[in-house]
Amino acid sequence: MSAVLQKADKAEKGALKGAIRIEDVVKIYDPEGAAVMAVDHCSLDIPAGEICMIVGPSGCGKTTLLNAIAGFHSISSGKIFLDNELLCGPEKPMAQPGSDRIVVFQNGALFPWKSNLDNVAFGPLMQGKLGKKEIYDKARSMMADAGLSGTEHNFPGEVSSGLRRRVEIVRALMNEPKVLLFDEPYRALDSLTKSVMHEALLEIYYKNKVTIFFITHDLEEAIFLGHRLVIMSSRPCKPKKIIDVDIPHPRDYSVLTSTRYRQLMDETIELVHEEAKKAFSAGEKEG
Amino acid sequence: MDQNQTVALLKRSMPFQTVPGEMLDAIAKLARYESYARGDVIYHQGDFADDVYIVSSGTVQHTLGIGFQATHPEKILHSGDVFGWAAVLDNQRSRLAKTVCMERTELIRINGEELINLFRASPETGDIVMSRFATMINKEYTLPEEVAGHVPHFTQVPVTMATGLTLTMFRLSQWLKSPKPYLMFTGFGILLATWYFTVEVWKLPRFADMPGLTVVMKEWFSKDPVYGLSIYTPEYYQHIWVSVRRILIAFFLATVLGVPLGLFLGWSKTFREYVFPVFETLRPIPILAWVPLAILMFQGSETPVIFLTFLASFYATALNTMLGVETIDESYSRAAACLGASKWQTFKEVIVPGAMPFMFTGLQISIGVAWFSLVAGEMVSGEFGLGYVINTSYTMVRYPTIVIGMITLGIVGYTSSALVRMAGDYMMQWRVRELALGGR
Repeated sequence: MSAVLQKADKAEKGALKGAIRIEDVVKIYDPEGAAVMAVDHCSLDIPAGEICMIVGPSGCGKTTLLNAIAGFHSISSGKIFLDNELLCGPEKPMAQPGSDRIVVFQNGALFPWKSNLDNVAFGPLMQGKLGKKEIYDKARSMMADAGLSGTEHNFPGEVSSGLRRRVEIVRALMNEPKVLLFDEPYRALDSLTKSVMHEALLEIYYKNKVTIFFITHDLEEAIFLGHRLVIMSSRPCKPKKIIDVDIPHPRDYSVLTSTRYRQLMDETIELVHEEAKKAFSAGEKEG
Repeated sequence: MDQNQTVALLKRSMPFQTVPGEMLDAIAKLARYESYARGDVIYHQGDFADDVYIVSSGTVQHTLGIGFQATHPEKILHSGDVFGWAAVLDNQRSRLAKTVCMERTELIRINGEELINLFRASPETGDIVMSRFATMINKEYTLPEEVAGHVPHFTQVPVTMATGLTLTMFRLSQWLKSPKPYLMFTGFGILLATWYFTVEVWKLPRFADMPGLTVVMKEWFSKDPVYGLSIYTPEYYQHIWVSVRRILIAFFLATVLGVPLGLFLGWSKTFREYVFPVFETLRPIPILAWVPLAILMFQGSETPVIFLTFLASFYATALNTMLGVETIDESYSRAAACLGASKWQTFKEVIVPGAMPFMFTGLQISIGVAWFSLVAGEMVSGEFGLGYVINTSYTMVRYPTIVIGMITLGIVGYTSSALVRMAGDYMMQWRVRELALGGR
């Protein structure tokens, strides 16, 4: 019996996908002849199923990195791999956007003209992989799992911003992505809503193990959610220090009062503050 | 809330509007007052349906469950609206909807069974109230007639649903009770009074030669008009129809050609490089400057006028649609790409609906400038039409007819833009609801 379970466990671990490898990526913007280096020889290895928190001051170039992985921007040099498959590199500077890497946007990008249910069903409908009825059944049950029943026929503009974020995450998960890319999604939420959203996100993560690449400038959020923190230097963007968060998952909000959490906070806050000061004096525009 | 206030509230509601005074007092005695905070759920779908509710102040969101086949399951309720009517239905003792207060809300609740018992004593009144309940369930809550047909009846004859006219009359009476119509009439009153006093009473220097209010009104509503045009002459309607037909053709062509052009201008950079400079060179040329070419290009008197009308509309529609595409947040297209939409799917699912608010602003402007250039066109060339009426009445010294033509243009023009606005609201329910939640 236990052997069978172990085997199943192993198989599941083997099936875990979504390892990202960033190799020596450089991104130079050249808008008006004056070259600006946004990302400077950045290398990073994210194992499958990890929640990797990218922490840095606003405007440090974190989003540029995310856009390169998602396929919205090209890179100037270097390579990015997903599960050992090349996403972008010297021959192919821009990755093709796809449903294996889905972005949850800073200001939310639910289509306001579609009901929540139609938003959630959007991905599979576009890809045409399943029948319409199956798609809607799946969408309904996934929304129910995330505590969203009763809002199916509302438009996104009719529900609270916290709920909208949850719908957006469910819309992404409908496509069974390998990676979720979060671009400071909770930036606009108040801190109380934020804490609820964090727990909800972890709950969703425990049910659907995906790799999470999460950009933030909020240290509390980073330590609470992440397996690892990658502290980025101010522009040009480059990993300055990587910190393992050795607080075991599953976590809940009691973590915030633990001693280990306080220690990690103390260790990181100095590093982050230093970068924030640099960014401030350089006068970077928040991106 | 005292007895009088409760009676007043009942009178403002659709089902109880026509109930006689004594009965209203009896119903008001059954009512209990309650208040809720923002976000409170009054009841969930499936709860036991005991009471009928009437909103006194505040707003309530009413969401009918899936499976009841409502055309619009979502409804926002305001003061005077009645919900929780499942409590009076014959076969129904559980709630069909979920109701949530969207702000601080005060309401009264009346037990359904007690209400029905009350009606047993006066079956005729009961049947009228129930037939109005049925109409409300069918027309306001957009549920099928089967559901609405489950209201009880107290005489031998089953309740027939009140006609749509009852509902229209109810809405009209509601509107007349609000301050809106009186403000509107005051606005018109000031305009007409200014006209009357400046021209006919004080005979101010520059106004003395103008046709006066009484002269114009007499002419307009005369069975035997001095200058040959009034609401009793068939020519009047012929002129209106000719103008309206020209507008319809021109507006239709402008929309059918302008919307796709605008969409592609906004969407494709290459297409834009080709077309936009040409477009921007032609656009500032005033419509009147096109008159000679229009007459040279097109035969007869009809097509040049339609062409001129079309041209102005077309620019407004295309330009606003293009702006609409440009203002769509880039994240929407990016999200669509992430979710596996092809370029064409993104166009259909993101670009077109995303540009729609601007597109309809464009259509509003378009119908306005259409009337503007139509009249210009009709004055220069053409037979019949309101612009033609105004111009010929001037040359033939029929001054009151000029003003009749102008007022008619105002009314027809207003109606046409109201229709465009209604079409826009119908197609953009998501926006209407968003704005409604914002209190606009």
